[in-house]
Amino acid sequence: MSEFKALIEAVTKGDISKAVAETQKAIDAGGFIQAIIDEGLIAAMDEVGDNFSKGTIFVPQMLRSAKTMQECMKLLEPLLKEGDTSSKGKVIIGTVKGDLHDIGKNLVAMMMEGAGFTVTDLGVDVSPEKFVQKAQEVEPDIVAISALLSTTMPAMPQTIEALQKAGIRDKVKVIIGGAPVTAKYAQEIKADSYGADAGSAVTEAKKLMGIS
Amino acid sequence: MGTTLPFLRLLTSEELKQIDQTGRRILERIGIRILDGDVLKRLKDEGAQVDYDDQRVRFEGGWLDQVVNRAPPSFVLYSRDGKNDLHLGEGNVYFGNGGRVFRVLDMATGGYRLTKLMDVGNTASLVHNLDNLRFYIIACQAHDIKPVNYHLLDFYYALNHTTKHVMGGCTDLHGAEQMWKLASIIAGGEDIFREKPFVSIITNTVSPLTIEANTLEIIDFCANRGIPVTCAPAPIAGATSPATLAGTLSQLHAEALAGVALAQVLAPGAKVLYGAVPTIMDLRKMDFTLGSVEMAMMNASAVQLAKLYNLPIYASAGVTEAKRPDIQAGFEKTVSCLTVAMTGADYIHLAAGMLDSANSISYEQYVIDNEIIGMINRVLSGINVNEDTMAFDVIERVGPGGNFITDDHTIDHMTDEFFYPNLSVRSNFDIWEERGKQNMLSQAYTRVREILEDGTDGLLDHDTIAEIKRAFPGSRLIW
Repeated sequence: MSEFKALIEAVTKGDISKAVAETQKAIDAGGFIQAIIDEGLIAAMDEVGDNFSKGTIFVPQMLRSAKTMQECMKLLEPLLKEGDTSSKGKVIIGTVKGDLHDIGKNLVAMMMEGAGFTVTDLGVDVSPEKFVQKAQEVEPDIVAISALLSTTMPAMPQTIEALQKAGIRDKVKVIIGGAPVTAKYAQEIKADSYGADAGSAVTEAKKLMGIS
Repeated sequence: MGTTLPFLRLLTSEELKQIDQTGRRILERIGIRILDGDVLKRLKDEGAQVDYDDQRVRFEGGWLDQVVNRAPPSFVLYSRDGKNDLHLGEGNVYFGNGGRVFRVLDMATGGYRLTKLMDVGNTASLVHNLDNLRFYIIACQAHDIKPVNYHLLDFYYALNHTTKHVMGGCTDLHGAEQMWKLASIIAGGEDIFREKPFVSIITNTVSPLTIEANTLEIIDFCANRGIPVTCAPAPIAGATSPATLAGTLSQLHAEALAGVALAQVLAPGAKVLYGAVPTIMDLRKMDFTLGSVEMAMMNASAVQLAKLYNLPIYASAGVTEAKRPDIQAGFEKTVSCLTVAMTGADYIHLAAGMLDSANSISYEQYVIDNEIIGMINRVLSGINVNEDTMAFDVIERVGPGGNFITDDHTIDHMTDEFFYPNLSVRSNFDIWEERGKQNMLSQAYTRVREILEDGTDGLLDHDTIAEIKRAFPGSRLIW
């Protein structure tokens, strides 16, 4: 049995205050920060992922657990030594220029955070220039672009082009998604990947990072 | 929940009164033909007007009320495990399957075959495992067994594969006696079975206005042993009743009240359901039509008639003329189940598995109908309105531009506000393609296999089976 049993239980239940208290307890006991993350938080989220795949929990519960993990990470991050990693990768995400829809994009952001990615959410109506500027600033591994409308979809290739022109296209992986978007379209505009729904977006992101 | 049935009334109270009065006038002036000398005598002794020459019994209004008033307004149809006891007459709506078909659609071959005893076991397993089907009616005829132990075997197969309440018809008194003896053994004694009967009996009047001796013998035997009964008229508008819906309803009402009254004469206080299986003929080619919209309308109206007398009703819905589980099956079933349910029918039979004007069943159709009924049950449970559900505080907490996905309120209510279908395809297009483009039928096929692979073992224990074998010595039984 893991020494983080109570922490794992609190995270899987999405009990934020209990999980934060357990994290603090583990820190005070002098545990390795990396161990608290790997054997506590990540182990809990793996269990949550399994339960979700089996259909025993619903999306709100999974996202709630993800949120719980983020709150715990706020205590742990300042204590991380150089070389320790808390993240499976950095992601910037946004809905394209001209498009104000954010439900799907928010879901993807939350689920990626839950899976251990560090996510910077750029919001909605994000211009290609803004994507480029943030990509330069954050140096993400993945740029995630969302669109709900067929009329705003052309902003996706424009964004990819802008990354190209700024000379950072080969430093990032681009994943796209949204109701009218298809795998074929992703190929056409030379995105690296495509997420059919929030769950698949996370799976695809992990594949892009070479983890599973 | 704050809502109560009925959500729907097809007849105004004035129309209801007129049909009731016409039904009573039929009983008083025309009467019912009763083909049983012994019962005619008992009726005469009780004060009914009996004409022996044309075997006609006429029900004077005051006498009718006095006899019908003996019927309990509410009673329980028991399950064997207590998990699916049906409280009739208390504002509940229960759905179940229907019976005595002779053909089954075999999905493995895509063709039809005659039904066998194993189909009784399999359909009982399906109903046992499908939550929205609350009782089991012996689904089909067993072409592979002989008449002598017919009802011993079909009831045995039913009771061995479900603990839900079992209802069935018997061909004759001998069959009813076998059923009673079998059920008493399973219950652990005649008195225990009388106290909590988990089997009930279907009989029928012969429309127009006739009741057979055989039927009355079965009612007499069962009702006097505490077994709930219905004597359900099945008039066919345009053939065995008038072509008008109001005419068929008037005749049905007379026949159904006569059934209730007769049961109360034979066994005062008998647990009896007002029966209704009104249907129509498609007069273009004289096709008997159970899946018609008029059938739904008449059953819904019959609920109003039964409730006028505070009687639980054995109503009908969910039948189709379609020969396969297809689009026609889906909409004919939904229209009738929803219409009849919204009037607050206590007990709705024929609502699962049926195809082909109730001549055929399909295993897949059972699981599809379970899903349709799930949606209807959600309608019946209504919209729950209170401070918590109106969620002002939640809306304030989340505020403009936020989302409700991970809020406590969402997690608190995610399982009690929504009906989650098991078979309906709800995934997005790409996921649907990825999973092999499922449809309702392919989903149903898979679900049936899951249930039958787990559920074909019998539920009765070895000691009970041994006792049944001892009680029916010398009978060649297929256990």
